[in-house]
Amino acid sequence: MEYSRHTGALGTLARVLSVLCLALAIGCALSLAIAPASAEALTTDKATARPNEDGGSGVIGAMNTRLTWEGTVEDGEEVSSITLSLPEGATFDGSTTRITVLEGLTRIDVSGNAQANGASITVTFDEPIEAGSLIRLEITDMQFPAAGGDYVVSGTYDTSDGEMTLADSPAITIIANTPLQSIVTWLDGQAWVSAWNSNPFLGMFLKPQLLVTSFASLLPGWLLCLGIVLIAYPFAIALGLLFAMLKISRHKLLRAIAVIYINILRGTPLFLQIYIMFFGLPMLGININNNVLGVIVMAVNSSAYLAEIFRAGIQSIPVGQYEAASSLGMNHVQTMFSIIIPQTVRRVIPTVTSDFITSYKDTSLLSSVGVMELMMFAKNLTTVTGNITPYMAAAIFYLIVTLPLIKVVGVVESNIARSERGGGPRPRRGAGAAEPDEVEKPAEDTHSVSSNVDQASVLEALSAPFRSSTESLGGVADVR
Amino acid sequence: MCAKKNREAKIEVPAALDADEAARIAFASDRELTYHDFAEGEHPIVRIEHLNKSFDQTKVLRDVNLNVWPGEVVVVLGPSGSGKSTMLRCINLLERPTAGHILIEDQEITGKSTTDVNNLRRDVGMVFQSFNLFPHLTAKQNVMIGQTKVLKKSKAEADAEATKQLDAVGLADRADFKPPQLSGGQQQRVAIARAVAMHPNVLLFDEPTSALDPELVRGVLDVMRDLAENSGMTMIVVTHEMGFARDVADRVVFMEGGVVVEQGKPDRVFDHPENPRTAEFLGSIG
Repeated sequence: MEYSRHTGALGTLARVLSVLCLALAIGCALSLAIAPASAEALTTDKATARPNEDGGSGVIGAMNTRLTWEGTVEDGEEVSSITLSLPEGATFDGSTTRITVLEGLTRIDVSGNAQANGASITVTFDEPIEAGSLIRLEITDMQFPAAGGDYVVSGTYDTSDGEMTLADSPAITIIANTPLQSIVTWLDGQAWVSAWNSNPFLGMFLKPQLLVTSFASLLPGWLLCLGIVLIAYPFAIALGLLFAMLKISRHKLLRAIAVIYINILRGTPLFLQIYIMFFGLPMLGININNNVLGVIVMAVNSSAYLAEIFRAGIQSIPVGQYEAASSLGMNHVQTMFSIIIPQTVRRVIPTVTSDFITSYKDTSLLSSVGVMELMMFAKNLTTVTGNITPYMAAAIFYLIVTLPLIKVVGVVESNIARSERGGGPRPRRGAGAAEPDEVEKPAEDTHSVSSNVDQASVLEALSAPFRSSTESLGGVADVR
Repeated sequence: MCAKKNREAKIEVPAALDADEAARIAFASDRELTYHDFAEGEHPIVRIEHLNKSFDQTKVLRDVNLNVWPGEVVVVLGPSGSGKSTMLRCINLLERPTAGHILIEDQEITGKSTTDVNNLRRDVGMVFQSFNLFPHLTAKQNVMIGQTKVLKKSKAEADAEATKQLDAVGLADRADFKPPQLSGGQQQRVAIARAVAMHPNVLLFDEPTSALDPELVRGVLDVMRDLAENSGMTMIVVTHEMGFARDVADRVVFMEGGVVVEQGKPDRVFDHPENPRTAEFLGSIG
C-alpha cells in the first residue's frame, strides 16, 4: 500500500498532466451534465491501461499492465470510499495501488487504505474527498483476461448520501494473448523453469521462455534463409550444368572460361565474395535489393561447386555406356539425355544434397551485410536480451532442415549402392577408396573424357560410395 | 544363304575401291580361304582392306585383310593383345582406323561424318564383354530404347519387338527387372536381345562370355548358337570358347600380333593347323 506525493520536476509534469486531465474532466462533466443520469457525485473521467512491456503499443491480456482510473468529485459532494470492480477474469495481486488526489492544480495529501477483494479493490479515505477533486487510482501488476476484447471498469462509491453506483468507464481494448505469450507466462510460473534458469549455463544458453519467444522472432529470418537458398539453388544447378558442359567441352577457350570461373569461385571464401558484391556494386551505382543480391551471390557461388559435381558425375559414367549407346546408333544428344544424364542425376543426388546443405548454412554469412536472415535476427535478439538462447534457437532452425537432408543423403546413397550392386564388371576399387558414407568433392583438373586414367580416378572420387561389388573383374582376369 | 536385305541409297564408294571390282578380287582371293559357298557376284557384307590401327606408338593392327560373307558366322581366335577386339571395334568405328579401308555392304565407312557413323552403327550391332546394359532402365526398356530413339518406332511396336526378343533369349519373365537384379548371364542375354532387336546386318560379339562365371557361360552360348543357326544373322565373334568355335563357326580366323595368321573351316584349323603359332595357341588352350 503506497500513498505517494510527487515533488520537483515530476511534480511539474504531473501538474501539467493534471491540467489536461482536469480539462478533460470538465469536458466529460459537461457532456455528462446533458445526459439524464448525470446526478452522480463521482463521474468517471477515464480508464486506461498501459501497454505491456513486450506488447508494443497495445495491451495484451494475461500480462501485467497498469490500470489507471480517474474520476472527479462533483460539486457539493464528498466521496469517502471508492470500490472499483475489474472486468470479469481480470486479476491483480493488490500489492501496489497508487492514489493521487488533485484539488484544482494542487496535489493534496490523503490518507486511508486500500483493500483488495477478489476482482475488486476498495479505497477508503480517512477524510472524504471534497468536491472538484480529481481522484486517480493506479493499479499496477494487474492483468486483463487472456481472451482480449473491450473491457470497462465499473464500481461503487460512498458519499454522505450512501452507496452509489459508478458509471462505467470508457472501454479499454485488450489484445488477445497469443498462445506463445501464454506459453511464456505459463513457463514463468513453473518451478522447474526457475530451477533450470538458476543454473548459469542453462539460463544463459537455453532459457525456456526466451527459446519460445526466439522461435517466433526468428521465424521471418528462417523463412528468408529458406527463400534465398530455394530460389538460388535452381539457378545454381542451371549455371553449374552449363559450366560442367563447358569444362568437358572440346574447345580450349570454353574449357578455359569454365576453369577460371570454377577455380576463382571455389578458391576464394564466400564471405569475401559477399563483401565484394555487396560493397562493390553500390560503389558502381548499382543498387540491388539486398535479398536479391543475396540470392545472386549464393547461386553463383554454388554453381561453381555444382559444376565440378556434375562434371565429375558425367565423367564417372563408364565409357561402356557411351559405347553401348553408340553401338545402337544413338547420336551424342540422345546418348547424353537418354543414357548419361539420367545415370548422372542418380549418382550426384547425394553430393548435390550435401552441397545444398552447405549453401543453406552459408546464407548465415549474409547477415554480415545486413540481409535480415536467421543469424541477423538471432544476433539482434541476443543483443537485446543479453542471452545466448536466441543463437540456440537459430541452431535448431538450421538443424530442422539439415538433419533430415543428411538422413536423405544416407538413404539415397545406400539405395544407389544396392541398386548398382552386381551391375556388371566395374573398375576395381582403389586401395584408398572413400568410406561408403563419405561424400567427397570430386578431384580437380580431370578434363579429358577419353583418358582412361582420368576415368578411373574420377570414378574413384565420385562413385566409390556407390560401388560395393567389384569381384567380377577378377573373374575376367581368370578367364584370360 | 540368307537373302541380302534391301538397303537404303548407297553412299558412293571411292573410285579406288569400286565395289564390284573389289568384290571380284575378294571373290577370287578369298575363295579358298573362306571355305564358303557363295554365288558369283555376291559381295562380302564386311570387307576389311589393309586395316591398320595404332594407339600412340603401339601398332595394334598391321595390315589386316578379312572378308565376311552374308549369313556367315566368323569366330576370331587369338591370344590376348592380338588385336581381335580392336579389329571388331573398328568395324563399327568405336575405334577409328589409322589406315586402310572397311566396307560394309559395299559402303566405305572410314572417314565418315558423325551422322553417317550413327547411321552405320544402327546396322552393325555389338555385344560387349561387360554387357554395358543401361542400369537405370529395365531389361525391356534396354531392348526398346534403340528402337524408339534411333529407329523411331512407336512405343507399342518397340514393346512388342522387345517382348519377342526377350522371349527368344529366354528372359520374358525378367522384362521388368533392372540390370543389377539380373545375373551376368541374364544381363548378357538381354544385351544380345538389345542388339538383335535393331535387326542389324552384322552382329559383333566382343568376348561375350569372358566376364561370366563358368556356369553362366552356357546359357549365353546357347542363345548365340540359336541365333547363328536359326536367324541367318551375320556374326563376327571374338571369343575363347573353343567348343563354340568348333561347333557353330562357319570359319575360324586366328590372329596374332595384329595380323591374321590363319583362317579356315573350324575342323581344319583345329585339327590341322597350318601355322605353328596357331598350333601353339590351340595347344596351350586345349
